[in-house]
Amino acid sequence: MQILAQLIASGISVGMIYGVIAFGYQLTFATSKTLNFGQGEALMLGALVGLTTINFLIGHALGTLSAFLIMLPVVLVFGLLQGAVVEFLGVRQAIRTKSEAGWIMATIALGIIFKNVAENVWGHDALRFPSPLPEAALNVGGVRIQPMEIAIVIGAVLLMIAIEIFNRRSIYGKAVVATANDRDAAGLMGIDTRLVITFSYALSSMTAAFAGVLVAPITLTGANMGAALGLKAFAVAIIGGLSSGVGVVVGGLILGIVENLTGYYISTGYKDVPGLLLLLLVLSIKPSGLFGAATIKKV
Amino acid sequence: MTVSKFFLALAATTALTFPALAADPIKVGLSGPYTGGSSSMGVSMRDGVKLAVDEINKAGGVNGSMIQLIERDDEAKNEIGVQIAQELINKEKVVATLGFINTGVGQAAQRFYQEAEIPVINNVATGSILTRQWPDQKTNYVFRTAANDTIQSAMIAEEAVKRQGFKKPAILADSTNYGQLGREDLTNALSKLDIKPVAVEKFNIGDTDMTSQVLKAKEAGADVILTYAIGPELAQIANSMAKLGWKVPLVGSWTLSMASYIDTSGPNGDGAMMPQTFIEMPTTPKRKAFIDAYHKAYGGDRMPSPVSAAQGYDSAYLLAAAIKQAKSTDGRKIRAALEDLQEKIEGVVTVYDHPYTATDHEAISANIPVFGLVKNGRVVPAHPEDVAGDKALRVKPKS
Repeated sequence: MQILAQLIASGISVGMIYGVIAFGYQLTFATSKTLNFGQGEALMLGALVGLTTINFLIGHALGTLSAFLIMLPVVLVFGLLQGAVVEFLGVRQAIRTKSEAGWIMATIALGIIFKNVAENVWGHDALRFPSPLPEAALNVGGVRIQPMEIAIVIGAVLLMIAIEIFNRRSIYGKAVVATANDRDAAGLMGIDTRLVITFSYALSSMTAAFAGVLVAPITLTGANMGAALGLKAFAVAIIGGLSSGVGVVVGGLILGIVENLTGYYISTGYKDVPGLLLLLLVLSIKPSGLFGAATIKKV
Repeated sequence: MTVSKFFLALAATTALTFPALAADPIKVGLSGPYTGGSSSMGVSMRDGVKLAVDEINKAGGVNGSMIQLIERDDEAKNEIGVQIAQELINKEKVVATLGFINTGVGQAAQRFYQEAEIPVINNVATGSILTRQWPDQKTNYVFRTAANDTIQSAMIAEEAVKRQGFKKPAILADSTNYGQLGREDLTNALSKLDIKPVAVEKFNIGDTDMTSQVLKAKEAGADVILTYAIGPELAQIANSMAKLGWKVPLVGSWTLSMASYIDTSGPNGDGAMMPQTFIEMPTTPKRKAFIDAYHKAYGGDRMPSPVSAAQGYDSAYLLAAAIKQAKSTDGRKIRAALEDLQEKIEGVVTVYDHPYTATDHEAISANIPVFGLVKNGRVVPAHPEDVAGDKALRVKPKS
């Protein structure tokens, strides 16, 4: 029983990271029906920018925790800018010409470019990220959890709630929701949908960058950290449903937990398989995802 | 830097270094990963080789010619290793090549040297297969100055089971060629001691959460963890064990001495043990001179990978001696000279007295490596008595 609880606890923190990245996919898909396939690279850039910032702050005699908190806004702003750049260079043109696949290649290409830039700036090596919280694990009823793992879950939930509140309550958020519901109608009502789409890309990269600095202290930071996470989060987005914010979080948790359970109860060699089987299963039974609303495309 | 600019710069530096040389330089290839996850080993190896070549050239070179190193970064990628092999053989016309950190890269690239009859001294990669890739061919152009995995896995099993008395080992290995071939060697070595591992677990490069692997080993009642993987993932194992509040000794292949393991695991990584051909300690005059020269040339007070640096350094001296004895830069003659080396060479790792024969291309025998132990961010001897007195210098027995 204790082992099961331990596996689930570790699975939740990993799954939450998948969930936040997938949440970023969902943000841009809602407004523009396009995705940033360089989401993993957005995460990686966020983590590396965060690393440089936090090391700079620690170098100026700040404690790790306060340095981490001061670093957060820097990383969030960087994420916003990075997402806007991706939209401007890779997606805008494809949307304007109603290209079906142009944005796919463009966002993948930008992702590769970002990775190469990161390799040249930060090198190829995996770097250690200073942990803002103590690294010794807490013992919660026999289940051992690192403080940073709890911080990941809390941080991820807070960020997603903040974005949801923004979308529902603020006038700008309403423009986002309106664009998501019907871009043409929103445009006719005087909403600058192009700006809304740029904004959703910025927001999406911001969540990825945030996920990057959350996960970095328990993993390592490096130019290659994003690829695997971005891909898994994509599977999560498909499982949970690309049109549902709750769906991607649940999808992330499912994948994180299932991976750990398989690793323990079946074989660590097959850890990645059940997640992908689940993906195939969802695609064949409910293609819009577990929580996704089926859309009818009129031609 | 673009490729053409790079070659231009290379040509310029070459021209500057050898302005008034009468004889053509002897070109020696140097292939290893200077970037990426294996770079600490690659860079140390390169620095060790360069140090030796500088010393050799300062002492007048070999047969009146200077040695010129042609360095290439294979990024630990098999396909790039192959490209580099072809470039070094066909374009640069090297007389021999030193290097290879990764077994996969060596396996893919050495074929071209074998075909071109150009000797390779493999100075870091440990895959047992590397020196016997072509059992059906009359001659073999691949030599080694590293302790191969057959030696290492036997040492690991011996240390864990016989010396420390553990009965229930768990094996954790990564899913690469290195990890899986090593796991096989380890299982074989254990079965010779009538021990069956209680758990055999696997993980991928880049995995960050080892909870399920470590939990499985723990629940199987393992009293020691044997590893075959590289630095970053090894560190994640140590960190996951610390997270689960479970501490059993970690004994594994020599990669537990990688800087990326030691630095990333921090205090969690202390106590890990691994076979080492060289520990950064001045136990012989030659070793002291080597350590001093290394830090004078490259700074710092800790080599990123002392084993790679020492084996690289020694490989350059072995090659130089063979070229001198062959009085030629013909690959076949250098190979023949390596297989019957007359000069006794005092290296950092050991004293090489006829290190190779026509059938034995391994300079390091099972008695040479000793166990190292990670302590406060450095590798120290696990059993000080193993390196005390005349045991400091261990020599390959005469065959």
